[in-house]
Amino acid sequence: MGFFQCNFFSPTLCFNTDVHVFLPTPNSDEILNNKHSDYFRAGVKFQVLYLLHGAYGDYGDWMRLTSIEKYAQEHKLAVVMPSASNSFYQNMHRGSNYLTYISKELPSFIQSIFPVSAKREDTFIAGLSMGGYGAVRVAFELPENYAACASLSGALDFAGVKNMVEAGAITGPFRWDAILADKEEAETGDANLFVLADKRMREGRTLPRLFQTCGTEDFIYPQNIVARDAFMRLGLDLTYEEHPGIHDWNYWDTHIQRVLDWFGLADDSIADGRE
Amino acid sequence: MAHIQCNFYSQTLQKNANVIVFLPTLSADDYLEGTKIRYDAAGGKYQTLYLLHGSYGDCTDWTRFSGIERYAQKRTLAVVMPSGENSNYVNMKDGEPYLRYITEELPQFLRTVFPLSQRREDTFIAGLSMGGYGAFRCALEAPDQYLVAASLSGALDIQALRTSEEAHAVKMPANYKAAVFGDKFDITGTDDDLFSLLHKRVVEGAALPKLYMTCGTEDFIRPGNEKFFTAARMEGVDIRYDRAPGVHDWDFWDEHIRDVVKLLPLEEDLVF
Repeated sequence: MGFFQCNFFSPTLCFNTDVHVFLPTPNSDEILNNKHSDYFRAGVKFQVLYLLHGAYGDYGDWMRLTSIEKYAQEHKLAVVMPSASNSFYQNMHRGSNYLTYISKELPSFIQSIFPVSAKREDTFIAGLSMGGYGAVRVAFELPENYAACASLSGALDFAGVKNMVEAGAITGPFRWDAILADKEEAETGDANLFVLADKRMREGRTLPRLFQTCGTEDFIYPQNIVARDAFMRLGLDLTYEEHPGIHDWNYWDTHIQRVLDWFGLADDSIADGRE
Repeated sequence: MAHIQCNFYSQTLQKNANVIVFLPTLSADDYLEGTKIRYDAAGGKYQTLYLLHGSYGDCTDWTRFSGIERYAQKRTLAVVMPSGENSNYVNMKDGEPYLRYITEELPQFLRTVFPLSQRREDTFIAGLSMGGYGAFRCALEAPDQYLVAASLSGALDIQALRTSEEAHAVKMPANYKAAVFGDKFDITGTDDDLFSLLHKRVVEGAALPKLYMTCGTEDFIRPGNEKFFTAARMEGVDIRYDRAPGVHDWDFWDEHIRDVVKLLPLEEDLVF
């Protein structure tokens, strides 16, 4: 793959930010093993996955701690990995507008610079832990922009996770008073994915397909059960999986592969380019 | 500017290649002061400067030792900085074909990935020292691709460097030099000799890029610049040569790359 480390000024965040991008390009594996490699040509576009890091992390995590490049290359999928600090992917009450950055500015920036499709059917979002929540939060914010979203070991039950962190049952770097204007938002605001999903459905909007996976020994497993049940009660198009595992990169490196398979990707470049 | 470090498999080089790209995007200054530049207009493309490093360097040099990002941002110019080892940007006699990489694969790749203009009038090439030679070598190899080529303190008379006693010449490992130009290092009359290649292109009646040269008056490499300028004038090509006080160093290149960026015929906006 082509590997692109981008640093640029984000007018939404009002500071410079980093994003890693992988684009499918012919590589030595395709040459040595006589694999299909004629997908990269003038005017090409690729399906794209926005891939979000967890708490304590940044844009470099997925690239460093998994083999996402190899898996994406097999699917001929572009991957975009931004940074969102410990914001929980919100427009922070005291802090930066990460939700707007990830849901609006970043896709617009990426589409204007890189050959990625802007179509809903070609756009996917996934993440782990805080980023699992973030993927669903962003996908439900602008459901018309994403074909599907996936949460790996996600903090989907925002209120439940917040309560556990505050009770000291889970460790987290979150400054809740900075993230939320008032505590009620976790229960009744758009930050609560169950409230947001219900609101979008009442608006008559079609939510992206949702994939949820969590390790059965993960400390966040109970909150994933809560989320699964809530999503099912809402009647979302949910695929739920659980497997042996904890809250670690072994789980994410394994199950991001399952996520890519589940997306139902074209496994090829998309015709009709920018010219 | 977006600062983009790219790593990709080059089919020409048969190995991974690094290239750094600056793309003009909304800057903090633009945000604070407002701008008329249509950065995200659909179908907009960037005018592009290919900028080559010197020997002993790589794709990071221009970003580290000059203010090229600022100068290019001011004029809404994309900058492409590839790595060329110490190849002189030629198709090495017994090594990688960097000339073909820079003039063919790299622009094709980058124009597929990024919104860079494909047009000759929007494409420029420049470089320092070995990269000054490289800029002219590429421009004369593919004169239909570049509107302007600029050499800063260029190693334009490569043949003369063969007998040079400067550290730049003598400290380059002999086996590397042999890979670039062959054991005999005799390029007289070949396309790697800029004097021969320029003459050949003039005889062919090719439409040549405008050539610009600058060199420090105290630079050890100046004699070859004087010689090339004289030869080019005799060939009757469109060439300009500015001499300025200075030696073979980044103070000179950081100052005079500004002259290059200033003289390029730029729209100072995306092009459509």
